[in-house]
Amino acid sequence: MDWLYDYISENTFWTILLLIHGLISVALLGALTHQSMAVLIPVKRLRVDDSFVTHFRAVTAQKYTKAICYLWICSFIFGAWIYAQYRIYVRIPIEQQELYKTLGVFEMKEHLVVFGLGMLPIYSYVWKHMKNIEYDLARKCITLFLTGVCWYAFLIGHIVNNVRGYGS
Amino acid sequence: MPRNTTHQNLSLKEESPRYRSMAVIFSAMTSLFYLISDVWKLPLFTFYPASNRFEWGWSAATPDDGPGMYWYGWIATASIGAGFCAILIGLLPDRMSKKIPLSVTWWTSLLLVPVLIYSLKFYWRW
Repeated sequence: MDWLYDYISENTFWTILLLIHGLISVALLGALTHQSMAVLIPVKRLRVDDSFVTHFRAVTAQKYTKAICYLWICSFIFGAWIYAQYRIYVRIPIEQQELYKTLGVFEMKEHLVVFGLGMLPIYSYVWKHMKNIEYDLARKCITLFLTGVCWYAFLIGHIVNNVRGYGS
Repeated sequence: MPRNTTHQNLSLKEESPRYRSMAVIFSAMTSLFYLISDVWKLPLFTFYPASNRFEWGWSAATPDDGPGMYWYGWIATASIGAGFCAILIGLLPDRMSKKIPLSVTWWTSLLLVPVLIYSLKFYWRW
């Protein structure tokens, strides 16, 4: 990547990657939250004067599946790329500040996103077979698990960024 | 006997019951193998980001290379282990593999979460 550093600083490069990782995560978070709401409290019939929340969950949940899989994988790849920099330039200073709980919750995040990654094939399968009522419970549980992991990862990523993030 | 029966039985399309069983096992085993490789220090490799060096298996931090990263190695171990188990399940006849409940997927991951939290006990100091 040395050729790139002739045009932008190394710090800027990693900050851009972190921003891309963050933006993909925002999209993923939105998609998963919409899908979870739609699968938990489905809307039978939508009227124009229904509330914002009703409109929020009145999405065609199945249509989000492919996008969620791709976004999860993209976010994972960017996260894995940044992770090596995190190990040296973020984690060591946090260790020196003895903020162990911050490190612990971040470690938990990296473990859980791998669990989520492993779930994507079956997640995709149960959503593809939307009409099979045998998969209803599985569809709900897997989607909720992924949503929970996504929210956790997003919030913890934000906390760690606040401790030592952009430009530090 | 239809000509394509054997081919159809070995089909791995996303619609097939075989794919379903393999995906269930892959998901559950990814979590399990990942946890095992973390707790028992079994990453496929260690990566030293400061020197961009790889070392097979688990390897401690060195003064020259700095801290080692095991996360990539854990993912590799988990993928290989889970992939192997999924292939084994794929070899089973459909009538057996169909009996694997879908719930294995999420309860394995959910049950492993407290174990993960415990495995990180080093960080939960007050």
